[in-house]
Amino acid sequence: MIRRALPLVVALVLLWPWPIAAQPRTVDGVAIDPDAELVVALSDDTTNMDPRIGMGSIRSNYIRQVFESLVDVDSQGRPVPGLALSWKPVGELAWEFALRRGVTFHDGEPFNADTVLFNLDRFFRRNLDKLGLKDVLAATQFEKTYPFVTRWEKVDDYTVRIHTSEPSPTLWDFIGREPMVPKAYTIKNGADGLNDRPVGTGPWKMVEWKRKTSMQFERNDAYWGTQPQFRKMRFQTIPEGAARIAALRAGQVGLIEGVPPFDAPALGQDSRLKVVSSPQKLSCRLYVNARPKDKYDSGGQDGLFSDRRVRMALNLAINRDAIIKKIFNGYALPNASPVASVSYGYAPQEAYPYDPTRAKALLAEAGFRDGNPLTLQLLFPAKHYGQSFDEMAPAVVEMLKDVGVQATLKPVDFATLLQTATKGTLPPNGGFAACRTGNNLDADDYLRDWGAIAMINWAPYPPELMSLYTATRREVDAQKRLKLLADLQRQVRDWAPVVALYQEVKVYAHSARVLRFTPLPELNMDFRGVAVKK
Amino acid sequence: MRAFLLRRALHAVFVLWGVVTAVFFLVRLTGDPTPFLVDQTATQQEIAEARRQLGLDRPLSVQYLDFLRAVPRGDFGISIREKRPAMPMVLEHLWPATVELAAAALLLSTVLAIPLGVASATHKNGVVDHASRLASLFLQSMPSFWLGLMLILLFAVQLGGLLPAFGSGGLSHLILPAVTLAAAPLAQNVRLIRSGMLEVLQQDYVRTARAKGLAERLVIYRHALRNAAIPVITVTGLSLGFMLSGAVIIETVFSWPGMGRLIVQAVPGRDFPVIQAGVFVFAVIFVGLNLIVDLLYTVVDPRVRLT
Repeated sequence: MIRRALPLVVALVLLWPWPIAAQPRTVDGVAIDPDAELVVALSDDTTNMDPRIGMGSIRSNYIRQVFESLVDVDSQGRPVPGLALSWKPVGELAWEFALRRGVTFHDGEPFNADTVLFNLDRFFRRNLDKLGLKDVLAATQFEKTYPFVTRWEKVDDYTVRIHTSEPSPTLWDFIGREPMVPKAYTIKNGADGLNDRPVGTGPWKMVEWKRKTSMQFERNDAYWGTQPQFRKMRFQTIPEGAARIAALRAGQVGLIEGVPPFDAPALGQDSRLKVVSSPQKLSCRLYVNARPKDKYDSGGQDGLFSDRRVRMALNLAINRDAIIKKIFNGYALPNASPVASVSYGYAPQEAYPYDPTRAKALLAEAGFRDGNPLTLQLLFPAKHYGQSFDEMAPAVVEMLKDVGVQATLKPVDFATLLQTATKGTLPPNGGFAACRTGNNLDADDYLRDWGAIAMINWAPYPPELMSLYTATRREVDAQKRLKLLADLQRQVRDWAPVVALYQEVKVYAHSARVLRFTPLPELNMDFRGVAVKK
Repeated sequence: MRAFLLRRALHAVFVLWGVVTAVFFLVRLTGDPTPFLVDQTATQQEIAEARRQLGLDRPLSVQYLDFLRAVPRGDFGISIREKRPAMPMVLEHLWPATVELAAAALLLSTVLAIPLGVASATHKNGVVDHASRLASLFLQSMPSFWLGLMLILLFAVQLGGLLPAFGSGGLSHLILPAVTLAAAPLAQNVRLIRSGMLEVLQQDYVRTARAKGLAERLVIYRHALRNAAIPVITVTGLSLGFMLSGAVIIETVFSWPGMGRLIVQAVPGRDFPVIQAGVFVFAVIFVGLNLIVDLLYTVVDPRVRLT
């Protein structure tokens, strides 16, 4: 009897709907609270959730919790499979993305090749009328920025091929890093629906958005990858740095971003808190006018900094170690490469030494001596990049004065600076201090700056560098291209189109109850795998 | 009274027209919002395309006439940054967050000011007077962001989270920002009531009232305070206007989702529609409050006639 019933009992045990995918109760040997809510304080709210509108540093934090892209990044900033399992060039004029199977959007819509084709239509503003979609003003106008992308096709339900009219080794990056939105949902609800009630494939579902106040998320239990180990998350807007710190100390928030550098050591001494940091893709520089007279509204004069020796002299006049130690409390990096140290294809370059004597000699060689000093009218956007940036700008001006440059500093609001840069109305002896960031992973995101005249290009590539740059844009073989990129970075370092100042290191502080939080060298935070101690 | 109200209504229309016209042209003098909306590497062609999409490439006169036609419908356009209608954005910050905060601060600053001011005047140079004057000086001198942060440190951090450090959503959230916002107007009102009362208490009718044998409480609160209150009403009207429109520092320190921060953020971002809608709402608030203050004069002092 027992023997006959045994198979039935075994079958029942096996087929019984036991709760599957139960959350682990410990992480690193510590008991965790799988139902916890983590409150994260950010300095501002996002203005949009539709990724097409734009992805600045604040916005990325919100958008990338909900939406994912074909290419993901790991904690070192390296490209790893996201919604695409792999990507490869097919010949010289096409790229193929193999998509992940079994992924669904938060509303159940499947992610497949049709989704990617729809998103490509949206990026390049094709077929919008046919799809009944309202166009949005996008930060990146793909059809103008990447006109060589000609068409895209579905190879099968999980493979997409994108064709170009010229070799494009960075297509995996500029297409791959764009977040994917659902096709049916977007067509049904329009861009406004997508913006107000975003639906993505990401680890978090947005459940409530109180504008300028908070955004509430709930874990996506159907997420395909590593899930966050807590159930709820709230992004709380707290604009004032001191108020964020007070809220963390009071235990009313669990994690804060944008910790002022000089507050970090005190927070680190509190046993209930942890301070973590990561280099960011934010390179701060002086842009000086080296444009030839036919490239801007110059009154018929070349930019005063078109001589490479002058720009190199300015680079040698800057004491970066002092700036990083005294103004950023160590939370910044010197970086002589034009590319952020966390970008794909970055090649470390020999630091610009602090050498005022050599700087003076170079200026004299270029014809700027006592009777004919070099002048520089420097604009800087006050209260835009943070307090330390505002302190750094006058320090830099004093260093330039030490080598005989008659530098003046004029604070302006960021909008005025952007407008001046956009219109190209800097005086020949003009310049501005600004920080360059990027949403993409590849070094090209930085190296393209001096290719076409744009608001941050004040020293267009000379022909030989332009040829090398063009070669990096056409070389599809990854290894050969990395060599070209390294060569270009070395040459750009020596050509010195800008005065390199520092690369930012972003500081976070969190409760010691928050486990496994690792800041990304990206604009956004990642909570996959993060847990909250019981 | 009817003629007065009609005339004031007409004035209000002209004032509002003047305000919206001035703000329309002034914000455009500050420059172009398009560089904010495009990538840092955008070319002139891309920026021109963005301007076209925003309608900023049209002649200014055309933009102005379109704007004037839309204003009576409450249509101030779509926020350039948030891509939502500007006026509902402003109104959702005005109500309830800004109104709630301003009302609480107004209540605190007037209800506390009356007994403190009266006590200070009636006990001139006494302990109460000195304490009240010192406290007023202290409250008026302190920058509101500093006071706010100190209150957060005390009540949210040192006292173990007795009150929330940030946000809105209940009485406990309201206390710290309302106290911070009320501090300066409270001090001002105390000083005004004190000086007004000191002056009024010397008047003949107060002496007469006392000679008639009226209780001191009635003399002070029914006869003296009513006359001493007129400047307080004027100042309170203005203070309320500022509380409704300019509590930006308090909103920033306490992460209060009010209207002030919305407008202040819109200015550097050159979000023209939001600035225009916000300034229009401020103007309506000030015009309305001035009218209410004028009407209140007639209630407090029957000798005042509105013609």
